[in-house]
Amino acid sequence: MIPVDSLSVALLQTGFVDGLLDFLQPDVLAGVVVRGLAKSAIYIMIAAGLTLIFGLLGVLNFAHGALTMIGAYLGGLVMVLTVANGTGPWTRLALFFVAMTVVFGLLAALGGSIELSLIRPLYDRPPIYQILLTFGLTLVLEELVRIVVQFYGLQPIAKWQQALGTIPVFLETTQSLGPLSVRGLVFFEILLGALSVAGIWGFLTRTRYGLFIRAGSEDSEMAEALGIDVRRVFTVVFALGAGIAGIAGTLLMWDQVWGASVPLAADTLLPAFVVVIIGGLGTFRGTVVGGLVVGLVDATTTWWFQNVVVTWTWLPEVAIFLILVVALIVRPQGIYGVEEVGGH
Amino acid sequence: MAISSATELRQRLETSWPVESIQRQQVYLVVIALLAAYPAVYHLLSQSPLANETVALLPRMETMVGVLYFALFAMSFDFISGYTGYLSFGHAAFYGTGAYTVLLIANGKVPLLPPETPFVATLLIGAVLATVLAVVIGLVSFRLTGVYFAMITLGFTQVMYVFVRDWDYVGSNPRDGIALSGARGFELGVPYVDQLTVALGTLTGDTLTLFGHTLGTTTVSFYAIGVVVLLCYLGMQRIVHSPFGRVMVAIRENEERAEAIGYDTFRYKLGAFAISGFFGGVAGGLLAGFKRSVTPETGFYFLTGGDALLASIIGGFGTLAGPLWGHLFDEVIREFLSKQGQGGGLLPYLREALSEGVLTTELVGGLTVEGFITAALNGHASLYVGVVFVLFVLYVPDGLVGTVRDRLGGPVARRLPERLWGER
Repeated sequence: MIPVDSLSVALLQTGFVDGLLDFLQPDVLAGVVVRGLAKSAIYIMIAAGLTLIFGLLGVLNFAHGALTMIGAYLGGLVMVLTVANGTGPWTRLALFFVAMTVVFGLLAALGGSIELSLIRPLYDRPPIYQILLTFGLTLVLEELVRIVVQFYGLQPIAKWQQALGTIPVFLETTQSLGPLSVRGLVFFEILLGALSVAGIWGFLTRTRYGLFIRAGSEDSEMAEALGIDVRRVFTVVFALGAGIAGIAGTLLMWDQVWGASVPLAADTLLPAFVVVIIGGLGTFRGTVVGGLVVGLVDATTTWWFQNVVVTWTWLPEVAIFLILVVALIVRPQGIYGVEEVGGH
Repeated sequence: MAISSATELRQRLETSWPVESIQRQQVYLVVIALLAAYPAVYHLLSQSPLANETVALLPRMETMVGVLYFALFAMSFDFISGYTGYLSFGHAAFYGTGAYTVLLIANGKVPLLPPETPFVATLLIGAVLATVLAVVIGLVSFRLTGVYFAMITLGFTQVMYVFVRDWDYVGSNPRDGIALSGARGFELGVPYVDQLTVALGTLTGDTLTLFGHTLGTTTVSFYAIGVVVLLCYLGMQRIVHSPFGRVMVAIRENEERAEAIGYDTFRYKLGAFAISGFFGGVAGGLLAGFKRSVTPETGFYFLTGGDALLASIIGGFGTLAGPLWGHLFDEVIREFLSKQGQGGGLLPYLREALSEGVLTTELVGGLTVEGFITAALNGHASLYVGVVFVLFVLYVPDGLVGTVRDRLGGPVARRLPERLWGER
């Protein structure tokens, strides 16, 4: 058993207790928590649209990752077209919000038309067909983007450096806050994530349309009987979900770890699934909590396996899937899930 | 007993068991004959005046070998997903396990098993390991249903994928997977009997001379792998039509009812998953045997399972032969619409067939016809496959074989002869 041996050796070398003491130092711990929160914010943002759509329509949208990826490219496009070398950091930040709005609108339109033309004919079929359709859609969207991107001379696999370069200086560089020193973008991600959660939460609980959505999720037939045009709500929610994916994509376009590229589709789809499943399919509250859990555990394991147990370099990459497997074994229906949801 | 007339002789012949059984199997026999004749047909056509069209339209022999073993993998996927209704989204794990086992043993990386272990044995070892893996994953996963089942199998597979990608035991660069060192090919057949084995592979395979015709290495591999795939297909076919298979379908149609009747559905699902894992492992072993190498992407990545899903849906979900046709269809489109290797396809054909004047004609904004067909056809097969797939989901939800079956009102193999020759 080679792995166990090397693990114990590694533990002896660095010392588990030493590692724990290091980990519990305030600045280290705070760093891990803040990075974890930033990861959580990203995970929640890429999963929020998915969970809204599943909650109401019962469609597990496999094209969600592709929509996020398109959002990243579109957001990058707006930034690259508007930002010049001399553009000041605050103007860049303002332009980012412009890009976010534009991308939200474009992707909402795309999502709405997808729902109208492709998903709508499938509601009467078994749920597996909606999975299949959106899976096929992913192939088409990814390949179309690849063609367009290649046409303009960009590498579809590599991150779009020019878009990464439009980030304002104060987000790019390391910022200090008390004992902490992390990249400014980390704080920005947390802020934007919190704003998105608050926005969606407010929309769902404080507006009339949010009420329709919640009613439809609870019992769409009953909602229809009460005079709500559920079909139209379906379209609106699909558009909204796609739009939120676009916002997430626009944010990821600035992040060194992600960046706008074609593989971003699969890279965001899988974590989004994990978050949504852990939280319980279709509950927005579950997604927020699930995202927090996954983000914090992810940041913690990454720190541990980078600093203490250095032999298993592959573990941080699978941490998120290990969380999924463990969570499903312990609590199959997710944190806030109801047994029947996603049932057979 | 004396036979009095010619009519009686015909009747006696028609009811004797060999003739009857051939009649019952005639669709299978025709399909097998068609596939067996493919190398000859392809060879003849590529020598004929239609050579350009043939090379452009028909899949190459090498592709056809790939179609066979991947179709087996897709069948194993369909066996569990199409028949019990549990979408096994991480099916690639079994494919990868089969392939990695074969190559690890052949490279002498597995203790107690020398590199000289016959391929047939390593193939089986890989398949058995895949079965064990299926049981382990199944024990946990079958507590869940629907989307959750799909996701947890996906989770297991992704863990394995990332692990294999960084597992430096397989070689110095695990991200590139493993390849067989040395120049020998895997020998498929009866172990230790030279006359009854053939080496696989395009470069390392055997050629065979039969009746004065020499069959190329790829063709020999095609037949050898074809025999294994056929045996596996017949095995799965047998299971699907057995009482066990009936319970699988019952689980798909209404699991609660199957349980209420008294079936321990958990065990049936687990059993079906294990069988499916076994054949998935065999398919992976065949991939390793023919290609002599495997990467984490071709073996363990979840999109490999996605390709099996495509093949099953296009061919017909819940029909065992469907994935073969589905994958063949998929590969034909892929090869036809994108430039691949030295092979044919539409792009080289168009370049040759269209005149220079047409090619350099400007469409819009400096985009020439040639530029356009290159941009649209060069390596973008996924786009067209995706479009075809979406169209199938929307308009042909039962797939190729499933639609024919519905039209005929029963299994194709039984109904088609009845339609053609009348009821007997």
